Amino acid sequence: MSLLIRNARIASEDSATLREGDVLVEGGIIRSIGKGLSAPEGAKVIEANGRLVMPAMFDAHVHFREPGQEAKETIATGTEAAINGGITGIVMMPNTKPAIDSAPVVRMVLDSAAKNSRIPVYTSGCITKDRAGKELAGIDGMRGLGVKMLTDDGDSVADPAVLLRAMQYASEFGMFFASHCEVPELAGPRALNEGVVSYRLGIKGTPAAAEEIIIDRDIRLAHAAGAHIHIQHVSSKIGMETIRWWKQRGDVKVTAEVAPHHLLFTEEDIGDFDTHYKMNPPLRTKADTEALLQGLIEGVFDLIATDHAPHTPFEKSQDFVSAPNGITGLETALVSLYHYFVATGKFGWDLVVKRYSAEPRRMMGLEPVPVEEGRPADLILFDTEAETTFSLDFMKSKSRNTPFFDKTLKGRVDLVVLGDQILLER
Amino acid sequence: MPRKDLLDIVSLEREEIDHLLDQAVPFKELFTRSVKKVPALKGKSVLTLFYEPSTRTLSSFEVAANRLSADVTNFAVASSSIVKGESVRETVETLQAMRTDYIIVRHSRSGLPSTIARMTKASVINAGDGAHAHPTQALLDAFTIKEKFPDPTGKRVLIVGDILHSRVARSTSTILKKLGVEVAYLGPGSLVPKVGPENVQRFTNYEEAMKWKPDVVYLLRVQMERQDVQYFPSVREYHRLYGVTEERLRRIDGDGLYIMHPGPVNRGVELCDGVLDYSRSLINDQVENGIAVRMAVLYWLKPGGEVIG
Ligand SMILES: [Zn+2]
Repeated sequence: MSLLIRNARIASEDSATLREGDVLVEGGIIRSIGKGLSAPEGAKVIEANGRLVMPAMFDAHVHFREPGQEAKETIATGTEAAINGGITGIVMMPNTKPAIDSAPVVRMVLDSAAKNSRIPVYTSGCITKDRAGKELAGIDGMRGLGVKMLTDDGDSVADPAVLLRAMQYASEFGMFFASHCEVPELAGPRALNEGVVSYRLGIKGTPAAAEEIIIDRDIRLAHAAGAHIHIQHVSSKIGMETIRWWKQRGDVKVTAEVAPHHLLFTEEDIGDFDTHYKMNPPLRTKADTEALLQGLIEGVFDLIATDHAPHTPFEKSQDFVSAPNGITGLETALVSLYHYFVATGKFGWDLVVKRYSAEPRRMMGLEPVPVEEGRPADLILFDTEAETTFSLDFMKSKSRNTPFFDKTLKGRVDLVVLGDQILLER
Repeated sequence: MPRKDLLDIVSLEREEIDHLLDQAVPFKELFTRSVKKVPALKGKSVLTLFYEPSTRTLSSFEVAANRLSADVTNFAVASSSIVKGESVRETVETLQAMRTDYIIVRHSRSGLPSTIARMTKASVINAGDGAHAHPTQALLDAFTIKEKFPDPTGKRVLIVGDILHSRVARSTSTILKKLGVEVAYLGPGSLVPKVGPENVQRFTNYEEAMKWKPDVVYLLRVQMERQDVQYFPSVREYHRLYGVTEERLRRIDGDGLYIMHPGPVNRGVELCDGVLDYSRSLINDQVENGIAVRMAVLYWLKPGGEVIG
């Protein structure tokens, strides 16, 4: 396949200014970039008219409910949702049923991905068997199948001795650890922040301290073990400051991620028990969201990840305490980052490319995919003038538990190219 | 504009509160007549759905519905406090099929009446959900206070006890603030949230709270069963620090203060025995006013709204 995209603006992680030019893709490789390129015989030509070409996104934190809860999402529907959002690679979390805690389950997931997905699917593995926090999972067997990230996401490893031993053991294999940070004894029904809203609604909340304690604890343990620790979905100001402090010390390898919903929403959005704002860690206060945004701009957060967490409409229509935690994110992430932050001048496209495409790939030991001559084609075309309505027709995820459901935001993913395949064209 | 549901006090406008409290006055006058019934809701069906036992609130609603000539049915539900979404939906569908006009629901889980209200065309009245809201209790408390202070603006009400777990404290303080009453909380530091509602003073010391010069001391029932961890060392210690002891009752009497309590009273915990004879206790007025206020609520709501989801 040959593809010529004419008159585009090209975004990259190292420059706040967009380059103008044509992009020619041949045989899955970016052959040339320049002005006035001529289309080879039989090439598909797209007039970009100033639309953006940029590296495709990569999401290092998603929940595809396969195996075990396919009514919520499968690898097939989840990866199509990813493509719909301009994402060409994802890392699955291992809290499936059964949990991804051994080589046979990893193989099952990778087999399904090979059959059902048009984009690469990576999976993390559990730290402990069945995420129970007691016995170590089948670490070497999972490593043999390419697993790099170990996490019991959904829960912390409550016993620090278990986590420390796991870190000492698995770091020798070049694996790294991702931490969901939460002291179980301080967590309420894991629904919302302890504060004004939990008081008003009469539901026991989870104080930010429950998260902050474990952020600090797990980095300390990684420091002791000489492990690489990645802190997942940070929601609190003090949590962000704790990570910044450890990074400034410079003697432990720590990375961290923030989710779009923690940058965009606060506990106040829960309103009258709206379960589309129920997630774990919970939405916190305006001061927290402002600090998180600052942390993202300063680079305290290495990457943006959605924590895409699909649930059926029935599950989310239960009362607030019964409803499960989490919202979907793959289809709304890039457009919402554009609508709320890039279009409003909070940060530039370079940050989006760096934090949502290049850094997550680097963390997983993969090459970033800049739009440069000689590189494999792994790119998207984004229209900053068009809009996206997250309607039932639009969504490819099996679930639609997102606060953006049926809402319209500025920005649209028009094209997704991976190798010599056009995965999406609008 | 009448509403379909009464789920909390927060969403009520001041005019709506005034209207309900005014409407309760003629209903209360009705109690003195030999025929205490009016045909206002004749042919309408009222269903009570109590997942949490409460003889007082349940019979208050039953009496209110009866006096409006409605047909009242008590829908027997399992006393289990954990209810899966599925069985709630099934129950609501059953009620819908029975063409119920009003559903009065009490549940230990905050937000459940809101969930039910979204599933049905019937009017849903929240008769207490978890630690969230108890709007009819708040209305009857406001009504009781207005009987003593017709213009309650600037009056002071001290709410004492387990504020953290109390839906009564939330709803009653909200309605009182909407009526211009000053509210303060008194209780153990572990049970009076620091980040709570605005414009509510927080006390953890009885003597300091009394220096604030309340007009009404509103005592909450100490509910040990709601406490997942220990919030104070013992009931004895609680009574000594926050209860109305004999000596404190004498001082309250000397200052001309009223006492309220949503009932049932734990004697020897919130209150000493002597309070039963206390002349400015409004506890029985609260019970009687509860019926009038609940009649006003039933009369005001309009079933048949849009069902979402
Ligand atoms: Zn998590």
